[in-house]
Amino acid sequence: MGALVETLRYVISYRGTEGHWAWLLHRLSGLGIALFLSMHIISIFSVGLGPRVYNFLHEVLYVSAPAKVLEVFLIFGVLFHAANGMRIIVIDFFPGLGKYQRTIVRIELLVVILVFIPAAIITLQGVL
Amino acid sequence: MGISTFRWKTKYGQPNWERISWLYMRLSGLVMFLIVTFHLLYMHMVVRVENLTFQNIVDRWNGPYGLAWKTLDTALLIFGLTHGYNGVRWSIDDYVHHRGWNLVLKMLLYIVGSILMIAGALAIFVGPGSLV
Ligand code: HEM
Repeated sequence: MGALVETLRYVISYRGTEGHWAWLLHRLSGLGIALFLSMHIISIFSVGLGPRVYNFLHEVLYVSAPAKVLEVFLIFGVLFHAANGMRIIVIDFFPGLGKYQRTIVRIELLVVILVFIPAAIITLQGVL
Repeated sequence: MGISTFRWKTKYGQPNWERISWLYMRLSGLVMFLIVTFHLLYMHMVVRVENLTFQNIVDRWNGPYGLAWKTLDTALLIFGLTHGYNGVRWSIDDYVHHRGWNLVLKMLLYIVGSILMIAGALAIFVGPGSLV
């Protein structure tokens, strides 16, 4: 646990640039999606238990207003993690691109936000 | 680390599982990029989550493209769970250095992961409503 406290202190005091924040957001989004996926598999498992259980869980976990708001966060996390993961993969395979990585992170973030905005609007239609 | 320094084996000739897991994160990430993009576009934007009812799932899994849907869902289950939980394992190793707690947390992770893998596979292959 000491390591965790140490890391948290580091994360807020270390004056890293684009790569530091991209790494942090990649880890947080990855862990968040893994947590969501665990719940998601359980609710899909309930398909085997018939329509009553499944539809009840579906309504509470995915359709209720708080769930729709959480879905927007999930979509942002997935879009960022997918785009940033692709950046990591591409740079690992073409290390020459490494010297442009600060620019690449900025472009990536712009693309993520441009895709995220319409996705969020579509998701929240009928809720707001 | 880049792909050019990738080696399958350690300098002692054993398989280098940590590096292999590093490569696996990249390969599963590539595959998932395609599946997840489709999943977000189709399930969240076209069909919309509120319409993904029990009946919708039955229609897809038992419809004319049932095998394709089940293959896609199985791929997402396997890649998502192994990639995601390997990432959790990395994070545990990064933050929990006490040997005992590190072991306890990772054992828990493997147990929960195995249960979820079985539960997900049951849902896809046993058939809607037939677990009761
Ligand atoms: C959509 C396609 C995806 C791509 C392209 C992708 C890519 C990657 C890559 C390349 C890494 C390794 C990062 C590194 O070595 O520092 C990674 C880490 C990780 N991913 Fe993904 N991923 C994807 C989807 C997912 C999903 C669906 C989950 C959750 C179920 C997930 C959870 C994680 C976690 C927890 C880590 C560890 C983070 C860390 O060590 O900082 N990823 N991802």
